[in-house]
Amino acid sequence: ELRLSHQWSTKDVRHKVAEIVANHVKDANVDLDIKIFPSKSLFKPKEQYKPLSRGQLDMVVLPLSYAGGQQPSYNLTLMPGLVKNHDHAARLNYSPFMDAIQEKMAEDDVMVLVHGYLAGGFVGKNKCVSHPDDVKGLQMRAAGKSFNQLLAGAGASIASMASSEIYNAMQTGVLDGANTSSSSFVSYRIYEQVKCYTPAGAQALWFMYQPLLMNKSTFEGLTGAQKKALLDGAKKAEAYYLDEAKKQDANSVKVYKEAGVQIKEMTASEFQAWQNLAKETSYKQFVADYPEGQRFLDLALAVD
Amino acid sequence: MDPLVLGLLVAATTIFILFSGISVANGLLVVSAIFLLVFDGFRSLELIPEVLFGKLDNFALLSIPMFILMGAAIASTRAGADLYEALDRWLTRVPGGLVVSNLGACALFAAMSGSSPATCAAIGKMGIPEMRKRNFPDGVAAGSIAAGGTLGILIPPSITMIVYGIATETSIGRLFIAGVLPGLLLVSLFMAWSIFATWRQGGIDALAGRTFSWKEKFEVLPRVVPFLLVIVGVLYALYGGVATPSETAAVGALLCLGLAIIIYKMTDLGTIWVMLRDSTKESVMILFIIAAAGVFSYMLSSLFITQSIATWIGTLEVNRWVLMLYINIFLLVAGFFLPPVAVILMAAPILMPIILGAGFDPYWFAVVLTINMEIGLISPPVGLNLYVINGIAPEIPLKTILTGSLPYVACMVIAIIILCVFPGIATWLPDLLMGQAVT
Amino acid sequence: MRNYINLINLVSQTVGILAASMVVVAVVITCQMIFIRYFLNGSTYWHTEAVVYLILAATLLGLPYVQKLKGHVNVELVPMLLPPAGRKVLMIVSFSAAILVLAIMTYYSADLVYVSFTKGWTSETVWGPPLWIPYLTMPVGFGLFALQLIADLFEVLLTPAEKIILEGSTH
Ligand code: NA
Ligand code: NA
Repeated sequence: ELRLSHQWSTKDVRHKVAEIVANHVKDANVDLDIKIFPSKSLFKPKEQYKPLSRGQLDMVVLPLSYAGGQQPSYNLTLMPGLVKNHDHAARLNYSPFMDAIQEKMAEDDVMVLVHGYLAGGFVGKNKCVSHPDDVKGLQMRAAGKSFNQLLAGAGASIASMASSEIYNAMQTGVLDGANTSSSSFVSYRIYEQVKCYTPAGAQALWFMYQPLLMNKSTFEGLTGAQKKALLDGAKKAEAYYLDEAKKQDANSVKVYKEAGVQIKEMTASEFQAWQNLAKETSYKQFVADYPEGQRFLDLALAVD
Repeated sequence: MDPLVLGLLVAATTIFILFSGISVANGLLVVSAIFLLVFDGFRSLELIPEVLFGKLDNFALLSIPMFILMGAAIASTRAGADLYEALDRWLTRVPGGLVVSNLGACALFAAMSGSSPATCAAIGKMGIPEMRKRNFPDGVAAGSIAAGGTLGILIPPSITMIVYGIATETSIGRLFIAGVLPGLLLVSLFMAWSIFATWRQGGIDALAGRTFSWKEKFEVLPRVVPFLLVIVGVLYALYGGVATPSETAAVGALLCLGLAIIIYKMTDLGTIWVMLRDSTKESVMILFIIAAAGVFSYMLSSLFITQSIATWIGTLEVNRWVLMLYINIFLLVAGFFLPPVAVILMAAPILMPIILGAGFDPYWFAVVLTINMEIGLISPPVGLNLYVINGIAPEIPLKTILTGSLPYVACMVIAIIILCVFPGIATWLPDLLMGQAVT
Repeated sequence: MRNYINLINLVSQTVGILAASMVVVAVVITCQMIFIRYFLNGSTYWHTEAVVYLILAATLLGLPYVQKLKGHVNVELVPMLLPPAGRKVLMIVSFSAAILVLAIMTYYSADLVYVSFTKGWTSETVWGPPLWIPYLTMPVGFGLFALQLIADLFEVLLTPAEKIILEGSTH
């Protein structure tokens, strides 16, 4: 029996990804049962990586950057402007960059079963946020360390709070804008409180790598048939994950439009402005904190 | 072993260990460690500190020590007495007079304090002797204050609601608003019973109006101004875009500390330390129960007990109101023995999916649950408010306190029934102020 | 035994005072954060995390002192029903169980401090403080809590069974 933990509800795409693998393994009749613990019913989101790496937890769907404090290279999996769109993300998943990341995982006895990136955008309470100049003087809440550095570099003030507090903070005016994933924008019904939404479209800044991970030794301890069932299920899940990731962005646009929120796509030149700023802020800070990171950054930037 | 059978075993062991006199938090840790060791293997013990750390690593918890500090600062001044006196002088024409103003003072004080015993003690110190002097029956004098004190956890701010919000991931700001109208409903029921009971026991004299001159009425007003300023300040911080609900508690704590030190001249370091020590004691006690209950619920989840119970209840073909009745009985019985925080933390992970599955509103349920916990506070064997009353009015026999409080328990049961018939009492105000719930 | 009891009581009181001041510091930092954000429209990237760790530390370091003050709520239903001798035995057993569990937690949390220190783990925020610092409050808090419980256990052992007073069930 394998135990899989994640932080989302059973309606979330990431739960479905876990379910596809679990169901495939079950149908394969290889005497292996995957028990899913959704909605952080076992561990808190950021407390999952340690038990995974020690084999006390077998599998997890996890935003890898949550473990960035333990493996600094993981911070590149949530870095502004590094991923351009979902197809680019899919190419990154099988690139020398991801190979290097997986070498780091192996140090912690962790391996990837299903690759996957999810995208996100920006909302503004009173105006659109699509160019760095837009955030000057605003109180912003961003998802991820490097995005906070980026926004601070653009002249925004950074407020830290849980994503569950965004709605309330927007309503009372504590926050002027926020950046998070397309699905969070919908599930927290933030559209009720904002004027403008800049979704992940042709250009998107915010991509977060959220793979299905497994403890390596546990995997290696399985029989050949069990391994095969897991890998086959993972392949099926990965195709689904990519497909759904694209749909989620489109769905969020639909929901926000229906709620009467203005939609402002990010233009190519705006994206470029953000990326230039990121090079001066987030990328620079990343390499300063972690000199070895330059190699990872170069590998990532080399992926076309 | 079947998870449901295992669940029964856990329940029996927990009851036995908790009743053995070990502290609730340590008891939960011991039970968790035993079951993890036996059914999950030795290595699972390694995880306990991390799980515990994870439970405490939560910004929302900040509001618990802050609101406790706020209540302690206010309770260590004569603010309660001032408030009590002001209401007494102004509410003379209201039938019932003194007992009504006492209950009003409890409700107002509850708006500053997140805990019941503190509310009880602050108003009771003045209120009970005054009521006895004016010939109110002992049972009414003690019972009204014991019951009025329980408003502390229903009228915001409320430690119970914060813990519920954390355990169920519901909005604490919304929970607070949900408690307002039910709190007013309860206080009206308490007032009605108090007047009736006094009248029935021949205390018509007591109910008669008293007269205060306008001078007497106005000279007391400035003394409640600081009190009102704090309430306005906290509400402004909360709803005026200054702070999030978790942060607001700090504003309240700072305002109340300032109030105590500057306005009420609490400059003696010894007094300040006693206040700090007592509030830290209460905070640490509650936060450690939260942490230990986190380990306990990790154990239940890891052994698949939580999930199995929820699935099992989902398969039962019972009417949702029958289900609600059973849940209420369970909460009542648990509340008789255990502190509200422990009941909420142990029950919430199991009850929440059931409540949502049966189509109940989580905010409405929070109010019902809180009233259940309030009943536990004024009922034997471990009704904390009863002991507080016994402490401040030792001349009233404990038996009279007990029997005097029982009708107020009935008022609370009636309030729960009213809430079941009119759930809007809990949900209307939050919907009005905050829009439909985000779930 | 007496000396040990007195020493532990003193240590517990000292960390208790530390814990109480951490709560006050947390109040001040939170208000400062609100001030910076609301009045100066400035960034507040480290405040929430610092406050969380302060409250966490206050809780863990406060444990032994609260034990000394008999502030951890308990339900003494079974002891009330037992004769004095049985009561004493039950107290010894429940104290020992709690001490054992806390000792296990002290050991594993100390290990966590060691690992996070040697591997240089930090929290994954902009501020990114080293994790061993907040982790350290666990072995210290649990350890002193266990030592305080041992002192209280000695107290029980030194008291004749019929003189043991129940604290009265409180919450
Ligand atoms: Na209150
Ligand atoms: Na009770």
